[in-house]
Amino acid sequence: MEHIISIPFLIFIPMLVAFLLMSPFFTNNEIVIRRFVKTFCAFHFIYAILMLAFFDSANPYLTTIHFWGLDWIQSMGVKFSFKIDSVGIILTTLTSFIFMIAAISSKLNIRKNHKFYYSMLLILMSAILGIFTSNDMFLFFMFWELELIPAYFLIGGKWNTSDNEDAKKSAVKFVIFTFTGSIFMLVGILLLHYYNYISTGVLSGDFADVLTTSIPTAIQYLIAICFLIAFGVKLPIIPLHTWLPDAHTNAPTPISIVLAGILLKTGAYGIYRFNYQMMNETFVNIAPILAILALINIIYTAFVAYSQTDIKRIVAYSSISNMGLILLGLCAYNAIGLGASVFHMVAHALVTAGLFMICGIVYLRCKTRDINELSGISSNMPRLFGFATLIVLASIGVPAFAPFIGEITTIMASFFSEMNDVLKFVAVFALPLLIVSSCYMLKFLHKGFFGEIKESFVKVNDISMHEFVVLSAITIGLILFGIFPNVILNLMELG
Amino acid sequence: MINDFFNIFLPQGCLILFILIHLVLSIFISPKYHRYARPISCVGISLGIVLLTTVQTEPQYFGFKNAVMSDAYTLFFHFLILLCGFFVALLTKNLVKSMKQNAYTFHAILLTAILGGMCVVSANDFISLFISVELLSFPTYFLIASKKGYFSKEASFKYLITNAVSTGVFLFGVSYLYGLTSSLNISEIYETIIEQDPSLLYSFSGILIVLGLVSKLAIFPFANWVLDVFKGSETSILAFLSTIPKIALFGIVCRLLVFSLGSSFELTFVIAIMAIVTAIWANTYAIREKNVKVILACSSAANAAYVILVAGLVSEYNLSTVIFYLTCYVLMNLGVFAFLNITESNGIGYNLEDYKGLYHKNHGLAVAYAVCIIGLAGFPITSGFVSKIYLFSGIANSGLIFLPFLIAVLLLTVVALYYYLKLIRPLFETSENANVNILSALFSQKFVLVVCTVLTVLIGVYPEKIIELCKFIAYNI
Repeated sequence: MEHIISIPFLIFIPMLVAFLLMSPFFTNNEIVIRRFVKTFCAFHFIYAILMLAFFDSANPYLTTIHFWGLDWIQSMGVKFSFKIDSVGIILTTLTSFIFMIAAISSKLNIRKNHKFYYSMLLILMSAILGIFTSNDMFLFFMFWELELIPAYFLIGGKWNTSDNEDAKKSAVKFVIFTFTGSIFMLVGILLLHYYNYISTGVLSGDFADVLTTSIPTAIQYLIAICFLIAFGVKLPIIPLHTWLPDAHTNAPTPISIVLAGILLKTGAYGIYRFNYQMMNETFVNIAPILAILALINIIYTAFVAYSQTDIKRIVAYSSISNMGLILLGLCAYNAIGLGASVFHMVAHALVTAGLFMICGIVYLRCKTRDINELSGISSNMPRLFGFATLIVLASIGVPAFAPFIGEITTIMASFFSEMNDVLKFVAVFALPLLIVSSCYMLKFLHKGFFGEIKESFVKVNDISMHEFVVLSAITIGLILFGIFPNVILNLMELG
Repeated sequence: MINDFFNIFLPQGCLILFILIHLVLSIFISPKYHRYARPISCVGISLGIVLLTTVQTEPQYFGFKNAVMSDAYTLFFHFLILLCGFFVALLTKNLVKSMKQNAYTFHAILLTAILGGMCVVSANDFISLFISVELLSFPTYFLIASKKGYFSKEASFKYLITNAVSTGVFLFGVSYLYGLTSSLNISEIYETIIEQDPSLLYSFSGILIVLGLVSKLAIFPFANWVLDVFKGSETSILAFLSTIPKIALFGIVCRLLVFSLGSSFELTFVIAIMAIVTAIWANTYAIREKNVKVILACSSAANAAYVILVAGLVSEYNLSTVIFYLTCYVLMNLGVFAFLNITESNGIGYNLEDYKGLYHKNHGLAVAYAVCIIGLAGFPITSGFVSKIYLFSGIANSGLIFLPFLIAVLLLTVVALYYYLKLIRPLFETSENANVNILSALFSQKFVLVVCTVLTVLIGVYPEKIIELCKFIAYNI
């Protein structure tokens, strides 16, 4: 099926709007820019929903753009080709939703350089949409690198009056880590491209054209490990995770939402696309090791999160823990595992967006993120307290919320996986350890919201209208997918 | 002889004519007309570009008793050299302004250097190659020293000493090769070598020849000059230094590797080691550096190292990647130096802090500069990204032995990314003293910056035509 208009429209319109914003012809008025971007994101979300509604998993959206009859880089067989399959359409819609939330929640967090900020945000959106839809290794890599520059400026930029030396450092750390990872991806892609060419005679970067069967096994493992390092940085898998807490903590709230909500999922998507689908022969053998790494992710970061005092850091570490669960779902290497993994990506994106939103709201009003200094703010922020309770309950896996389904199905898939007994072992250990997550999340709720209110917090206001909209959208999503998980699972043909 | 001149030597002849015009004018014209020197050079170079159409290339043309050759490869490199020469000449206005009556002499020297670069590419004989290399080098010493002050003289002298040593090494290698093959003609040597079994001595002479030639690209044994020279020179001269000698010497080194030096493993290995050492040295040196020009010097040396590494793994595909990378690199580099030329003429220094907050008053210029730097760092939508992938695919295609080199070089690009980010970050920061002014830029400076940026983005979005051209050139050498 050729969708020459619709897919490029979905991906490149944010970038074009960003260029429009950056151009000198566009007004400098902050309110106009903000409303314009919010409206645009809302329309983009509606468009994504429409594409989701008309999606048929038997006929994925597919298009290849030719330039004057030639491929993009014909000499290397690189095509400008896009394909949206069922995983892609879910993540695309999620991206659109998260960016809409981020644009709305930027109002109070961003006080300076609006033009630059919103254009960078939209370029980041384009890049991430490109990652989820590209159908060519090199195109994937292009979008993967494209996302770094806007992310660098968004994390490290000076968006309000406060001092941000830490933010700059963590932005550099983020870029260096991801770029190092992507170096390994480039090595993997180049080797795969070359060996695919000498074994099949097809010079192509298309995912569908790459056949790994005739490549020598040792080289297959080499390539697979290169990819795992690249995506392991982004996911993150434990020894490669140190950029994440810094970046998430020092970035402004909307960017934390984007980072935890979507950017980490690109790592999981990469493992799905490259290792799970393309290098599947090696993945079967690597999966047990990955599952153990996932277990370490789940356990280790849960304990680390419990010992943190910065509320944003707690949420950041909980993200790593949850990404471990997503990785475990992929390692199960069965249909339920994949479905559960994608489902948990959506659920976790919503939860973590909500949690970062709450952290941002608290920090804006109380000027502190230290959990020991916060106390009793529920008495004059009842609406925030309500939302916080719902989202925290959702995050610890209470039934009727989406993460419950994600966690349970992931662990089930891992337990019933027929690949290796290691996965059963991992499942058995992961389930009780999820309790730790309830410990740190409840600590977050308990210390921050209950107790005697401090004098300095008495005059603090409750949430404003746009924050209410964002939090209710997230909560509705959590409850909706918690009660009707088949909305997503049907798309994965698991209903 | 006269036929040869009209068949392949007209662009060079045109440059010689304009050099003579400059020299005559420098004697007779009043100093107050110094501002005409730049337009005359520009006219001369553009006329040279036009005259490239008269050059015979099909399939290969050997002229002047086989001392000079011409084919699609040399034609492309001549075009690139003249294009860069045109841009460099456009950027020289502020430098020339301070020279008054020396303006014409300066431009005569600049044109001589460009002429030397062209002759280097088309040399088909080690004698003519040697003379051409010196024709390129000698004007360069004067160009470096043309800035007022002590440091430029020191830089010039350092460059002179390094080049003298490297020329000795080059001639030593040539003498060995002559002893082995009793010929100095590059294409004849190729035929002799095919008949004989290549010996170790032959590889040794090849190593010495390449070593002598690449000293002007700041490759390891002769790399140190680049820091002082970049620190001491004016930005328009840097635009010259980082483009024309590079194009010319890569042109001849790649052809020597393909033509006569063959693909002996020792040579490849030595070149790879040299390249890796240079890349490590240059990239790590730049991390702590605060001077923009020195950072760019390191970037220049590092990029040369990547190119020479791929050029050492001789194959037609790799040659095409090298040509493409050079084309993209040269354009990005010219854009960067055009911006630095603008800031320099506005009295802004060379420290990173001096660039603070420039974006807020000069959106267009700062974004164009940022695009060029991002391109050098190898990020998408710029030609830097495509050329990076294409260049390194050359190493990946050369076999698993070179995989460690590929990973090492790619990891060094991460280090490079750090200092490239350092170069653009101050522009987008808010300056405390808030006395950032709107930069006043000449039309010519803006023209160079905009053309380079637009080409960088255009090639990045649609590289296929240029890659096809590079492949055509590489496979028809």
